[in-house]
Amino acid sequence: MSAIRNAVRRSTYLDSIVLMRISRQVAALPGVEEAGLVIGTPANKEILREARILGREGDKAEPGDLILALRAKDGVAAEAALAEAKRLLDQPAVSGTSSSQYACRSIRGAIQHMPDANLALISVPGHFAAAEARKALALALHVMIFSDNVPIDDEVALKREARALRRFVMGPDCGTAIIGGMPLGFANVVPLGAIGIIGASGTGIQEVSCLIARAGGGISHAIGTGGRDLTAEVGATTTLMAIDALDADATTKHVVLISKPPAASVTKLVLERVARSPKSFTICFLGAADLAMPANARCALTLKAAAELAMGAAITSEPAQPPVLGSLPGRLVRGLFAGGTLCAEAQIVFTQAGLPVASNVPAPGASPVTDARGCHLMIDLGADEFTRGRPHPMIEPAVRDRSLAEALADADVGVILLDIVLGYGAHADPAGHLASVLVGRDRRPLILACVTGTDRDPQSRTAQVRKLTEAGVMVAQSNADAATLALKAIGS
Amino acid sequence: MRSPRRRGCGRTITIPILRSGILARKFCRAGACAEVVAVFERSLYLRCADMFLCIGTPSIGNGPITMIGDFASASELSEFGLRPGLSVSIADRCLTIAGSAQFSFDQYEVWRPSRWCVPRSHRELRSVCDAIVRLAAVEGPEEGLAQIYRLRERGTDPTPLARIARAHIARFESWLSDALETHHTEPTTSRDAIEGLIGLGPGLTPSGDDFLVGALALLDALAQRKAHAALAHAIATAPRGLTSPLSDYLLRAAASGHVGEPLCRAVSAVISGMADAAVASLREIGHSSGWDMLVGVGSALKVVAAARRAALPVDEARCTARRGGAE
Repeated sequence: MSAIRNAVRRSTYLDSIVLMRISRQVAALPGVEEAGLVIGTPANKEILREARILGREGDKAEPGDLILALRAKDGVAAEAALAEAKRLLDQPAVSGTSSSQYACRSIRGAIQHMPDANLALISVPGHFAAAEARKALALALHVMIFSDNVPIDDEVALKREARALRRFVMGPDCGTAIIGGMPLGFANVVPLGAIGIIGASGTGIQEVSCLIARAGGGISHAIGTGGRDLTAEVGATTTLMAIDALDADATTKHVVLISKPPAASVTKLVLERVARSPKSFTICFLGAADLAMPANARCALTLKAAAELAMGAAITSEPAQPPVLGSLPGRLVRGLFAGGTLCAEAQIVFTQAGLPVASNVPAPGASPVTDARGCHLMIDLGADEFTRGRPHPMIEPAVRDRSLAEALADADVGVILLDIVLGYGAHADPAGHLASVLVGRDRRPLILACVTGTDRDPQSRTAQVRKLTEAGVMVAQSNADAATLALKAIGS
Repeated sequence: MRSPRRRGCGRTITIPILRSGILARKFCRAGACAEVVAVFERSLYLRCADMFLCIGTPSIGNGPITMIGDFASASELSEFGLRPGLSVSIADRCLTIAGSAQFSFDQYEVWRPSRWCVPRSHRELRSVCDAIVRLAAVEGPEEGLAQIYRLRERGTDPTPLARIARAHIARFESWLSDALETHHTEPTTSRDAIEGLIGLGPGLTPSGDDFLVGALALLDALAQRKAHAALAHAIATAPRGLTSPLSDYLLRAAASGHVGEPLCRAVSAVISGMADAAVASLREIGHSSGWDMLVGVGSALKVVAAARRAALPVDEARCTARRGGAE
């Protein structure tokens, strides 16, 4: 028999986004049929009453109070959900106020607390990032700028200043790095090894480092450069410094370079520098065509190919064929990606196969979404238009729910392509969330996914793959494999 | 830009206030003591009796109850150890929170919204309405009032909020249509038209409150003075306790002509025929608040654009008649 539980927090003000997130988390708890988290106004009590979740305690709440109301399948589930909900409500109240943790107020203060530190990770609103980076450089620190929306003039100036000081500036908009085995930002737990990565792309670094790790290799360093480093304005400042650093690093035997196609002048500059390196290189400029490689470098068209060239061996593609489903409901493929580079890679796989593909962030050969009619569609849900004022889909997988519901309901869509990105910084259980969304759905269209991660990640790749498989999702070994399977499924 | 500076034994950081809204200035003039009631990533809220003050980083945008601080070298408010319940003293043009953080307002600019621009024709405004509905249906969040449009498009079963809100919005639109056509409103009828919306919905400021704030701003921008005055009066005389104290304060501020910079930009964009720009200005406000305001703007605009007797301002003299509100 259903059980209703209410809790009231007196005179509590929580940020709307926090309220929404907790509300969704409570609604997704086991056995919960309905939940709401609203302030205790008369109008809201009416809503809760209509939803049949208002109890006696909630009914007594004042307009300045917060009502947590839920209905679960039985009393046990209701009590468990209420306890978890209270824990979630308490989290934001204590974050940042713990007196037991040292909370530094400045980079200088942090250095006094940790004098051996040699890198500052800066994640502040973009407007402030350059100023913070300069403070870190002045303290002889390398800098990783996680922030985006940093003006390009600031980036150019910062990188010049850093180069003069022989310090790195990774970023701005550098989401991923692994320095000497230490993951920074969104990164996975991969073993130390002989392969160095230089990447202008966060998910590109993650996919390649995870494929290498799962194939038995390891990473010496993965140096993020920021998405604009290979533009003509920035001139590959960080990329060239990273090549210098990996040249000088005895552990690194092979270097993988990942980016969108650079500006022509920058391509020449970088390839000339690669040619002078004593080490071998794999160059993956996703979507770049007809590049003349130096003798010590090979060109990879996809991230998977980059990992294979770095390992010197093919990485198994399992499954090799999509399941036989009879006729698919539609003939179009809809890709819904959290990773921008994974979205670009899928587009490359399709354009290489000669198929029309459109995207909100079109790779070379793809069309913008305004010309999407009759095209396969690859959406980067991490792009600015989806993440302004909202969490990134790698942090909050529910961001993808609406687009997924639309794709599932679209009669023209035969295959849905998804990426699940694990590691530090990512959602604790993205596959579990996706599985919960897919409960009770028709088995069509075919859903294909890749899981970027390792078993040593906090989420465990094997556990995530199992949840997806049980939910009827077909999981490929890599993002490129998932895109290739989608092609096969639609008979191309 | 001036920077935070340390004082005394090095524990207290003083943040210079760069800009202040009119009601924020009034808060500091009126209150000798206050209390911290909420601390968010980029802003904190103080309360003194029925008045509220928001202090935030420049990224939150200007507003009537907002003071913008120069947090140049201390960009995270959590670094100050601020938490709800701390006492606040205001003296000597300085606001001190529990002896640890100070905000000095000895040199600041008073922020006032810029003047409304000249609106497009009735026909063009109707097409902006359609665009707002489309954008809300496609891009609006699952929560809040934008779902009304999406549910209508998809034929999905309405949630309790959608069902209740739809009826109240219909009642509001009917009242506004009468007000515009007859230039006369009964106070009782006006209150009936809005009371169901006040305090309705999720969020720190309930969706219904945000809706009314958006509608007020739109009526002001289109110089629909009688309708604006009737709506403002209905809000000002509505019983206390229909919504949270903070939202109540913001709603009454909007009724007296004080709305924030993002909404001003959005309404200016709407009456200039640019629905996309309006969405861009509002989508970063809270989770659904910006969208709820936009639904209010769209709802009021739909009625004004359809009303035969709702003359639109056609020159600057008319459309700049009242801005800034009563101090």
